[in-house]
Amino acid sequence: MTIDMTETNNAEKAIPAVSAVEISGLNKWFDEFHVLKDIELSVSEKEIIVICGPSGSGKSTFIRCINHLETYQEGTISIFGQPLDNPKTAQGIIRDNVGMLFQSFNLFPHLTIIKNCTLGPIWLRRIPEAKAIEQSMALLDRVGIADLAEKFPGQISGGQQQRVAIARSLAMEPRIMLFDEPTSALDPEMIKEVLDVMVDLAESGMTMMCVTHEMQFAHEVADRVIFMTDGEIVEMGPPEQVLKNPKWDRTQQFLQHVLSHKS
Amino acid sequence: MDEQTTAKTELLKFVPKPDRPPIVISHGIAGWLKKHLFGGFWNTLLTIAVFTLLYLLIKPFLDWAVINAVWSAANRRECMTVSPDGACWAGVIRWFNNLIYGRYPDLLQWRVNLGFGIGIIWALPLALKRLKGKLQIGVAGVVLYPFVAAYIFLGGERGDFHYLVFCLGLAYLILLYIDVALVHTRGKKLSQVFDRYLEPIFGKRSAVASFILIMALITVLCLYIFRGVELEYVSIEFWGGLFLTVIISGFSITMALPIGIMLALGRRSTMPVLRWFSIATIELVRSVPMITVLFMSVTMMPLFFPNTMDLNKLAQVIIAVCVFAGAYMAETVRGGLQSIPKGQFDAAMSIGLGYWQTMFLIILPQALRAMIPNIVTSFISLFKDTTLVSIIGLFDIMLMARNISIDKNWFGLHSEPLVAISVLFFVFCYGMSQYSQRLERKLNTSR
Repeated sequence: MTIDMTETNNAEKAIPAVSAVEISGLNKWFDEFHVLKDIELSVSEKEIIVICGPSGSGKSTFIRCINHLETYQEGTISIFGQPLDNPKTAQGIIRDNVGMLFQSFNLFPHLTIIKNCTLGPIWLRRIPEAKAIEQSMALLDRVGIADLAEKFPGQISGGQQQRVAIARSLAMEPRIMLFDEPTSALDPEMIKEVLDVMVDLAESGMTMMCVTHEMQFAHEVADRVIFMTDGEIVEMGPPEQVLKNPKWDRTQQFLQHVLSHKS
Repeated sequence: MDEQTTAKTELLKFVPKPDRPPIVISHGIAGWLKKHLFGGFWNTLLTIAVFTLLYLLIKPFLDWAVINAVWSAANRRECMTVSPDGACWAGVIRWFNNLIYGRYPDLLQWRVNLGFGIGIIWALPLALKRLKGKLQIGVAGVVLYPFVAAYIFLGGERGDFHYLVFCLGLAYLILLYIDVALVHTRGKKLSQVFDRYLEPIFGKRSAVASFILIMALITVLCLYIFRGVELEYVSIEFWGGLFLTVIISGFSITMALPIGIMLALGRRSTMPVLRWFSIATIELVRSVPMITVLFMSVTMMPLFFPNTMDLNKLAQVIIAVCVFAGAYMAETVRGGLQSIPKGQFDAAMSIGLGYWQTMFLIILPQALRAMIPNIVTSFISLFKDTTLVSIIGLFDIMLMARNISIDKNWFGLHSEPLVAISVLFFVFCYGMSQYSQRLERKLNTSR
């Protein structure tokens, strides 16, 4: 894996325009059901993409494909120019480059917060335990919950759990972060604390792809907003354009629903 | 005017009320009795009915087992003349030694005690909090201890390999206790004390190297000390009683979990051949009575092994019981695996953990924790089921108990030995159940 990494790094220096995520002709079926239809997308490094759309539109499936949690039948996905065709190498490419957050946090309930964070560094990156703990404590401090390090996930609030999940992902030093509705399972007061951390991440130059219904976040942080429905990318552009002047009636309709609900 | 508006817009500062300790309600013993046993007419009636029933059931048993019982007599006839309605414990007491050790020679029974003593001593450090690397101790125990115990139980000329492993096991045990002492005084294991001297030679591997060197040293020492000692040979035919029961069930309880985990993972695997094999094994073994498996192990298993291999009955039975217990355990473990939400797999994958790491670091610790009651239930029933080996002629505690009734002095003494071994089984099984509940409580506090 280390060899692959250096190769990409060199390639990047030579051609700075290599995109962080390159998706072409992506098609996926669940049995007969066509979930993703001809998805084309190129995300450059440090770009913030927000994906929105009605439920069942395939946006979660789409983002899970990028992390190789779902298989797909057609098309290619490349991370920093390395295609994920081979399942054997895909796992390594993902591990070295991509982190992911889930709606239900998915912390490991049998491990303390700090052990949740150091598990990856210790077992996969072979970092000595003391150093891994030090790094993870710094990350927990960054997301504002260093004092909870010895607690178990069941003992802290949802917002805190999601921030731990962010720290756990960051401990693997990813260059791309994927978010699958990270605030959907949270109370209003907790949504903000998680969004603050995400804004902070965005400002630090992380490449982010985020499935969310937080239109305020999309408006303030996103470079591009994607609207998906029925497995297709219908609309894509700067937040001003997609959120204020959508081209399609379906987008307009969806936005009205989301905005009226929020206010 | 200005003052009034500021007073109106200024918000009250919220200060939470101070906590109060919870109210403790106590009525004393009389109050408790009134509340729980005699609260109301029907409740009182029920209490009285239950106690009457208990009295009617327990009284005759106590009369038989304690009040009218005979504790010392030369034979059953004497018992009958002294007290025809009482239990004749004299027979059980006379045979007690055989119930525990089977037909193991009286003078050599200290070897059985020594063997099990070593096992207990080996397991004790696992309860220590400050000792690290318990998995290693456990695995070493599972691998080495059977050889050590077999060496002591069997005796006789055991060959160089067995002697070497025996000494290796003893060396590990000695090193374990040196480590326990050092960890509690210096906070370091013996191998950690020496590894800095070895660092120039072995570099990063110095910790492993110093461990191996120390082990080798103690092993050679053991080899030297015990070189002339030869224990008298006791054939497996003479093993029996509780001793044999504990060997068979101990072995199969230890092996059931690993076998079960492997079969359960195999059954959930995406590799078809592995999955078919696991399903076939589990379903085949589960749908056949244990007695059949035991009979087949004795009559059919030799067909599958080369003629030169000397399989004894005990080994065959242990293999059969292990496979049987493993198949049942597999379904228990599979139930545990299914209770783990899919999100845990997603999270483990997204960190980059591979299949085995995901299973052993994330999924199995949670699944097994959720399954402790079921696993211990399997263990307990396995422990009791091993009495079935008496049917194929192994003199386990069950067959020893039934043998008492055909002894010419104690002819027809059926109930007393069975009651006695029931008490023994209860002690063991209740112990296991209590231990599992303690384990559950301990693991639950960390949630």
